[in-house]
Amino acid sequence: MSTAPAAAPAPERPLPIPTRESQPFWDGMRESRFMVQHCVACGKPRHYPRPVCPHCFSLESTFRAMPTGGAIHAWTVCHHPFNFFFKAAAPYVVALVDMDAGVRVNAPLRGVAEADLKIGGRVRLGFEPVTKDITLPFFVAE
Amino acid sequence: MAHALREKAAISGIGETAYTRGTTKSGLALQLEASLAAIADAGLNPRDIDGVVPYFPGGGIAEDFIANLGLPDLKLSAFVPMGGATCVAAVQTAAMAVATGVCKHVLISVGRTGYSGARVSTRLQQFPQFALAAEFEAPIGMFAPAQLYAQGARRHMELYGTTPRHFAEVAVVTRQHAILNGNVVMSKPLTVEEHHASRMIADPFRLFDCSLESDGGAAVIVSAADRARDLEKPLVTVMGVAAGHPDSPASIAQRPDILEFGLARAAPRAYAMAGVGPKDIDVAEIYDCFTFTVIKQLELLGFCGKGEGGPFIMGGRIALGGELPINTHGGLLSQGHVVGLNHIIELTRQLRRDAGKAQVEDAEVGLVTGYGDMGDGSVAILRRAA
Repeated sequence: MSTAPAAAPAPERPLPIPTRESQPFWDGMRESRFMVQHCVACGKPRHYPRPVCPHCFSLESTFRAMPTGGAIHAWTVCHHPFNFFFKAAAPYVVALVDMDAGVRVNAPLRGVAEADLKIGGRVRLGFEPVTKDITLPFFVAE
Repeated sequence: MAHALREKAAISGIGETAYTRGTTKSGLALQLEASLAAIADAGLNPRDIDGVVPYFPGGGIAEDFIANLGLPDLKLSAFVPMGGATCVAAVQTAAMAVATGVCKHVLISVGRTGYSGARVSTRLQQFPQFALAAEFEAPIGMFAPAQLYAQGARRHMELYGTTPRHFAEVAVVTRQHAILNGNVVMSKPLTVEEHHASRMIADPFRLFDCSLESDGGAAVIVSAADRARDLEKPLVTVMGVAAGHPDSPASIAQRPDILEFGLARAAPRAYAMAGVGPKDIDVAEIYDCFTFTVIKQLELLGFCGKGEGGPFIMGGRIALGGELPINTHGGLLSQGHVVGLNHIIELTRQLRRDAGKAQVEDAEVGLVTGYGDMGDGSVAILRRAA
């Protein structure tokens, strides 16, 4: 009589570990707001969050809620799930987007057929809560 | 006036293990096996090594080399953590050390159990330079270099009309060259049709656009050129060498031009140091983590214009017998993945005229690149000096 092997544990979703730099961004995501770090001295936006403005070297920054629209810069369609958590989702489109806010965001693009993908295509950022602390970005067509 | 580093250093020894998929040896054992082969090839005793620049992170560190090789007086231990650009950039570090008299013989080495040990999918989160990618990109499903580099390849296709047929050309030609080499993982012919039929990994990269996950070790010795002259093998000198970093080095996503690699900065410096240009290159070993990466690097090296890399490589130009033979050993795509140290070894063989069936006739000057870590770049120009 054979015994079925114990079921493998469900793969865990990889989650961001917010840092002192990035915490305001992730706090914003949780509240469905796209918070982008801006230099207090020269006003330029920067993403991903970091301590020093690379333009004017100011250590002072603030996070502002920004518009969620953007245009596709590039994309890939992920077929091979390098992490088993994403096996069920594959193939999935990941779009790199030039946000109207002046920074880029990389996130899954949902509801757009592969044949309709094009550079400059307009998309909008959405917010998907995955734990009580973490909300991840995704895109849909604008 | 010639650059102070020009031809002051030589690749005096080369060594490698068998390239396989499946080994019971540790990465360190493979690294040391290759190191001993390189030391013997240079006609040196292990105790002559007084500098080490091992691949990092992952593999042996100074303590391992002292403990295993009994090094009596190690004067330099350095890391150049630039991913796939590490090995050629390490030649720059080693050349500076031997040219200034800090060291006599510097060992650069890699040992990797990329097939039987740690796989590509787990590497990203372990490296400090990938912390941003791990925080912002892994959670949305972007883990592996194949995925992170795919967006750039797609943009190149959209902007310049580069096609899968161009990608296939790199894969097929590289495989043709691998078949001429006795120490390769992939030894069967590959057709364009087989490339196009291989499974999609991360569009536009199919399986045969991706480099191998393999096991193996490789090593080279960099010596002062005047010392290497006394050794047995034909002298292969470092004419020029440079390394460069792109903007937003830890995140391709935030890079103003996602098709701008560190090589764009390194290449002009290496050519200037060497006193040669693209037209002087007889053979080139181009870091081939992905087929597209080869095409783009040929543009950044000035072999063709921006966006022209696809058409440039067609028609036999990059095959043996063509105008610019590349990856004459089979590269990372078909020989094995030892982070490009095999490219330096192959170029040295070519310039020694010791490359067997893949020998480029009368090869005098050759070029080798490294690419990695989201876009770091390195390039060395070597010359047969004896």
